[in-house]
Amino acid sequence: MSNMSAMSVDELAFTPSKGLTVGVEIELQILNSRDYDLARDAADLIGLIEKAPHPGAVKPEITESMVELNSSIQPGHDPLLTELRAIRDVVVQAASRLNVRIAGGGSHPFHTWADRRIYPTERFQHLLSLYGYLAKQFTIFGQHVHVGCPDGDVAIYLAHILSRYVPHFIALSASSPYQQGEDTSYASSRLNTVSAFPLSGQIPFVHSWKEFLDYFLKMRGYGIVESMKDFYWDIRPKPEYGTVEIRVFDTPLTVEHSAALAAYTQSLARYILTDRPFAPLRDVYTLYNYNRFQACRYGLDGRIVDAYTQRHVTLKEDILETLAVITPHAAALGNGLALAKLAADVEAGRSGANQLREIFRERKSLNDIARVQSDLWMGAGKPANAKEAPKT
Amino acid sequence: MTTFLPQYPFPPNPVLLFGLLLLAGVVGGELVKRALNLPRIVGYVLIGLLLGASGSNLLDAGLVGESWIFVEIALGLVLFELGRRLHFKWLRNDPWLLATGLLESTLAFGFLYVTLTYFGVQPIYAAVAAAIGVSTSPAVVLLVAQELKAEGQVTERALNLTALNSVVAFVLTTMLVSWIHHEYQAGWATVALHPLYLLGGSLVLGFAASVVAIVLSRWLGQRAERQFALLLALIVLTIGAARMLELSVLLALLALGVFSRNLDTRHDVMTVDLSGIGQIFYVVLFVVSGAKLHVVELMMGGGLALAYVAARLAGKLIGVMSLSHLSGVRPGTALMLGVALTPMSGLALAMVHGTADLYPEFGARLSAIVLSAVLILELIGPVAVQFALKRAGEARDAA
Repeated sequence: MSNMSAMSVDELAFTPSKGLTVGVEIELQILNSRDYDLARDAADLIGLIEKAPHPGAVKPEITESMVELNSSIQPGHDPLLTELRAIRDVVVQAASRLNVRIAGGGSHPFHTWADRRIYPTERFQHLLSLYGYLAKQFTIFGQHVHVGCPDGDVAIYLAHILSRYVPHFIALSASSPYQQGEDTSYASSRLNTVSAFPLSGQIPFVHSWKEFLDYFLKMRGYGIVESMKDFYWDIRPKPEYGTVEIRVFDTPLTVEHSAALAAYTQSLARYILTDRPFAPLRDVYTLYNYNRFQACRYGLDGRIVDAYTQRHVTLKEDILETLAVITPHAAALGNGLALAKLAADVEAGRSGANQLREIFRERKSLNDIARVQSDLWMGAGKPANAKEAPKT
Repeated sequence: MTTFLPQYPFPPNPVLLFGLLLLAGVVGGELVKRALNLPRIVGYVLIGLLLGASGSNLLDAGLVGESWIFVEIALGLVLFELGRRLHFKWLRNDPWLLATGLLESTLAFGFLYVTLTYFGVQPIYAAVAAAIGVSTSPAVVLLVAQELKAEGQVTERALNLTALNSVVAFVLTTMLVSWIHHEYQAGWATVALHPLYLLGGSLVLGFAASVVAIVLSRWLGQRAERQFALLLALIVLTIGAARMLELSVLLALLALGVFSRNLDTRHDVMTVDLSGIGQIFYVVLFVVSGAKLHVVELMMGGGLALAYVAARLAGKLIGVMSLSHLSGVRPGTALMLGVALTPMSGLALAMVHGTADLYPEFGARLSAIVLSAVLILELIGPVAVQFALKRAGEARDAA
């Protein structure tokens, strides 16, 4: 960790990035292969992965039961998916050598938060001492999608407009219906855990990068934050990457769905930045928590209020309408096929949360849900087939 | 005189015995934990020593014999749990783990055999004693891991290597049985068929029980409480059947565990937590194994016992350390993995017991060699496992 207090305003300057590129971070669960409870092999897993050449990056997360995959910066869906599959294969192979399982999904269905252990780095230990049990409860799994922006003002605009679509992102990715051994009745229960953090929420209603920096410096002046990392907002600008980062997605059950969500976000961002369809609206934030709750609770069946039209609409309808609007942008980015498939899923009401509940109805076992989560993510449970002897 | 009052000396009964052993163990374990911060197992063994032949002789040979059934139930539970941890898929995905297990078993056997014959032990005794020394005590590793709530690669690999070396030890001792038969001029049919019956019969019994476990688990559905009762029933039934058929209780239960895990392709058998009920029997197991040891007699074989312990440890450490870096273990933990394989305990006693049943004279001379090493490792082993798992960073913070 760098010394944040010595950071100058210059270092907070927005690094321009090639507009509308996309990248993802995916937090994953490490399970044991005995009863599929969370394991704590992150250090061994990362150590083993680092020995082999692989695209992207694999990093530790707050507890030893988690690992985070990062993609590179990608121009669109297909190359992103290719890269994610390649990283997945490396992770799956390392995991099978350690006899652990890797699973997607926003939550582990039955782990006990008190059993979790914090990954031994300075930052994570600091978070534990600051947030107490919340740090261990933060063993939830999200996907972050980064969209490249040419400058800070564009990033602020994009963040405000994307806020209107936050319920979409939640409903499309919702895959955390079970937590701590119970059906929560939510499609995404994960975000309720995030809401407990004092610096969660939304970006302030500022209109330019300069206004945003003033806000940030004020907060830092109060000693409330040290860096941008301390804001657990649903959407936040990431000046050092030159991106806007959307953080409300539950980790999907497969990398294919991860790439599809990134494609949706990227296509939507292209529509927003090319057509500039709306101006930022304070009412988006007035309705924000209600709409967000509807998406978490009911997924695609949630009913939201559109701040721009005051219309009540189900998320399923709103997403399908949006998909129709952004079709040309998706096509321009090469995301057309991926979004067509996403539209078919939404039309049919398919979601990660529904899929997991279906498994429970069939098997009546939370262990089996965790097992199937790992089968799905690892590629239908097929073991890694490459098994050549490691080089020494 | 009234006749409804019990007559002195009061006749003991197995239930009373079980309760006493358990009570003694719980108190001894807690005292050792509080006073010395050592694993409770050490306390169970020490209280056994105090109560047994080396101490007050409250638990004399007769009572130890009566309590042997509890030892077999305990070992049955341990081996079942251990078998369920032995995951064929892991051995396929990480063949170096299997190679490590075979190498450390081979080296431990070789070093022990050479050391014992060097000290003038007859080859046949040396071979059987060496074969028994191949096995790590599953009960100690499992129990210390549970007590520390340890999990991670060293813990899992130690348990899998223990399962592997236990299998190797069974197979070796069983094959050596034919040599013993030969020495004692048994008929050729006994020489050839007895080991075959022991190995094959125990495997078939374990296999049959595992098929029943899988089929009935599917029928019962994924309900932990029902499956718990089912598995306990099958474990006890298999122990009883193995005794009845004069098969190896240990091998049959290990087979039940291994097959119920590895043949269950539809994931019908849940991983039920047997540690609660297991704990009760493990306490008794260690108290009895302490009671069985004659400290004074064993001290006489002290030099040989030390050589035995050293040769065995060298074999295991060299075996583990020369291969485990190939199988994705963090650097620095290979040593800990080797150290975690130190314990010898009830399983070794049971194997001595098994051969002693055949030819008591042979058993007596074998005991003299193996049991003095068990005495040392019974006390050092749990400490070694605790040290290894803590050092590897796999124990829960407050243990």
